[in-house]
Amino acid sequence: MYYMILAILFPILAGTYLLVRKEMKNRRNLLITVGAALIITTALVAAALCFSGNGMLTLFSLTDKLPIIFKVDEISVIFSVMTVIIFVCAGFFSFEYMKHEEKEKRYYGFYMIVFGILIALCFAGNLITFYLFFEMLTLSSMPLVLHNGSREAILAGLKYLFYSLCGAYMALFGLYFIERYGNTLTFSPGGVISAAAAAEHGGILLGVAMAMLLGFGVKAGMFPMHAWLPTAHPVAPAPASAVLSAVIVKAGILAIVRVVYYIFGASFLRGTWVQTAWMVLALITVFMGSMLAYREPVLKKRLAYSTVSQLSYILFGLAVMDTGSVTGSLLHVLSHGFIKSALFLCAGAIIYMTGKTRVEELRGIGKEMPLLMWCYTIVSLGLIGIPPTGGFVSKWYLAEGALSSGIPVFDWLGPVILLVSALLTAGYLLPVTIQGFFPGADYDYRTFQKKEPSWFMTIPVLILTVLSVFIGLFPNGLVNYLMQIIEKIV
Amino acid sequence: MILMVILLPVIAGVLVFLLPFKKRSHMELFLETLVILNSVLVWSLLLHRPTEIFTLANFTGNLSISFKVDGMSMVFGGLVSALWPLATLYAFEYMTKEEHEKVFFMFYTMTYGVTLGISLAANLLTMYFFYELLTLVTVPLVMHTLTREAILASRKYLYYSLGGAAFAFIGLIFIIIYGSTTDFVLGGVLDLDKVGNMTNVLLLIYVMAFMGFGVKAAICPFNSWLPDAGVAPTPVTALLHAVAVVKSGAFAIIRLTYYSFGTEFLKGTWAQNAVMLVVMFTIVYGCSRAVKETHLKRRLAYSTISNLSYILFGVTIMTPLGMVGALTHLIFHAIMKISSFFCAGAIMHQTDRHYVHELDGMGYKMPAVFGVFTVSAFALMGVPGLAGFVSKWNLAEAAVESGNVIAFGGIACLLVSALLTAIYMLTIVVRAFFPGKNFDMSTLEGIKDPNWKMLVPLFIFTFFIILFGFHSASIVEFFSDVAAGVY
Repeated sequence: MYYMILAILFPILAGTYLLVRKEMKNRRNLLITVGAALIITTALVAAALCFSGNGMLTLFSLTDKLPIIFKVDEISVIFSVMTVIIFVCAGFFSFEYMKHEEKEKRYYGFYMIVFGILIALCFAGNLITFYLFFEMLTLSSMPLVLHNGSREAILAGLKYLFYSLCGAYMALFGLYFIERYGNTLTFSPGGVISAAAAAEHGGILLGVAMAMLLGFGVKAGMFPMHAWLPTAHPVAPAPASAVLSAVIVKAGILAIVRVVYYIFGASFLRGTWVQTAWMVLALITVFMGSMLAYREPVLKKRLAYSTVSQLSYILFGLAVMDTGSVTGSLLHVLSHGFIKSALFLCAGAIIYMTGKTRVEELRGIGKEMPLLMWCYTIVSLGLIGIPPTGGFVSKWYLAEGALSSGIPVFDWLGPVILLVSALLTAGYLLPVTIQGFFPGADYDYRTFQKKEPSWFMTIPVLILTVLSVFIGLFPNGLVNYLMQIIEKIV
Repeated sequence: MILMVILLPVIAGVLVFLLPFKKRSHMELFLETLVILNSVLVWSLLLHRPTEIFTLANFTGNLSISFKVDGMSMVFGGLVSALWPLATLYAFEYMTKEEHEKVFFMFYTMTYGVTLGISLAANLLTMYFFYELLTLVTVPLVMHTLTREAILASRKYLYYSLGGAAFAFIGLIFIIIYGSTTDFVLGGVLDLDKVGNMTNVLLLIYVMAFMGFGVKAAICPFNSWLPDAGVAPTPVTALLHAVAVVKSGAFAIIRLTYYSFGTEFLKGTWAQNAVMLVVMFTIVYGCSRAVKETHLKRRLAYSTISNLSYILFGVTIMTPLGMVGALTHLIFHAIMKISSFFCAGAIMHQTDRHYVHELDGMGYKMPAVFGVFTVSAFALMGVPGLAGFVSKWNLAEAAVESGNVIAFGGIACLLVSALLTAIYMLTIVVRAFFPGKNFDMSTLEGIKDPNWKMLVPLFIFTFFIILFGFHSASIVEFFSDVAAGVY
């Protein structure tokens, strides 16, 4: 049980240590420290997942009604495994990438702290614990956004901060009411709102649910509060963008899963105006994100818009509240996590090796760094949803779930929009591949030179690519595992 | 004993002025000893509460100057006596750069006694007497620098406060006439037989008295004296204009609402709605002005305006839980705000920088001060694990529990205000620690953290901000007892 605390505290303390200690003379020592910290954290998380069982660990209470509780359940497993894999991969990628940035120690310090906080979010056993770490996440990930210190980055960091806090406070509004009407904030499958409370305070609870969805939706980039995401993610150093876009935004998804399925309960929300409004917002975001990505020339920004769109796939699946769609959503959490971090790392490697940021500059890039661009292409296909990659399976379940849900209009409108968006995804991701491998007849081969980056960069990308394909090839085990949870909560 | 704790600081203040000290350190030692001694006396008084009322003088009828230690006195008196020695210690260092410090310390110490007088008053008349006295002894402190700006500010302060007190006085008269006594009794003293069909008049009087005492608590539209009074030396701004004086206003309103008019009489009336709306507006208004303000101390002053109305919001919920929320924020805000004000003072003392945009990169030069400032900023925003979260939670809990729809709106105001708080506090923190890549650190040459006299109070406050954030159950339980009338 105490492995949970260790797995949370160790990275946070390691990060704090890095922040407060003096600048290290030797860069090697810094990297060894960080590498060791990453590996130890991985081991601790693994131990926590294996040995925690179903026990609840109550640490202490903020007030008499607000205990800090940690617990490992199936949702924690999914999210924490994804977090660990991506953090370790992006961490090792940073070893090479951060050579060309300043203040490395500060970067790794906050990186480790964010890591620990994300683990804590996965393990949180009640809403107040979750909220505690949710705010800490915002505060400690902001330095990653404004890392390079340019005016643009600092403004982006502040924008990120204020949007996120605004969302957090909207969610906090809900906490007050749930604590009162539900009598507890502890996550329990199926929700904590009793039938009596639902009958008596139904109207206000629905309003509160909407506020919480919008509030936590800010982190997940849901329309209308998505604007921070395309500003903040691209200005961060590439490995930081990767974890921001692949993992940190998933904290918003995790929050919504917890609030909808573990606090309010699907049966309370199904068929209400809240569900309808939520589906509308999610679909708008899916379509809008893809459109904006399609017309965005800067690669990292394009990927950030893509995140906006893809996260709302997940949100749409959650909003439908059907077994199939929720399965699809949770699968997409994983596959989008691996794919988007791989894409951002590829973009980072391109910037690192060539300094090019805009899509039209990338002619012939496939010839220069073939291995990396092959990875890019494969994960792109995954994001579009072409079999046999992970994206295909998750989108299949999403569409199937929506079709069988029987919600009027949305049962066909949802899949249609998802398909249109998939088409747009192809439209914004594949040009890089096409131009990269087929630069055209007028391409000047004399300037050509091999620019494949070092193994520190390629191996993490390779691992993530393989994982994203692996989910697509062998989804059965995973789906069966997910079914166990989903049966309880939907 | 009660009289002693009130008189001792007054006498000490006069002595500081009269006695010829050879060295400054002698004066420091003398004053600090007396202040600490007084605080010890206050705490022993609060812990062994004499239950009887101590009457100093009897006027006609039931009018008297008398003192009593009840739950509210324990809260406010305990707070004031805990903060005063620390603030005095800080002031020793801060005042090295200012002139005629003897006059300053005289009035500063006298204020201690007067504030205790407010907290220990047993009836409305006594409280009113000390309330007026408080205005008079603090005016010289605002005026201290004797610049034109300071004189104008102190004049404004005087007029606002006296004007407010006049309105409060009307409330006092009506309580004398329509109440069974002027003593403070939890639940109110209005005699419903006497009130008869005068209910609406009395409600109007309540609103007037609320606004009158509200002047000191800086409710909108009577708030503009507070930012202006920031011209005073920082120990004054921090202790008096974030804690003692303004919280006296809030304290008086609690007395008025819960102990004189009584919540039973007020709850659910238009008067409750009216004052609650005013308070909600002030919460948002104060924060918005703080965001706009670029002078550091004035920004914090606007923040105080908003936070005082958090307390008053708790008061206007008019349930025991609301009072618990109000008391929690009364104490916790005092610690958070005095901490951030002392940071501002330390910055001014060390560098003479007054504006937010001058603080770029200072986090690296004054890590201790800015570390403390960051903690207080997070606490004011209401980050869980720090004191501000707990008090906000209690306020919101009370609002939800009351079932009053306007109070639900109040929660929304609290959260909007929390967001604005994040904006005006964190922009400072970000500036200090992330000055941007082209920032020239050599412009900050020679700036360093202040000495221990300034740092010790800061660290103590930070410790308590964190302590109350993680463990508040026992103190909140005490507040519940106070609100339930156990003491």
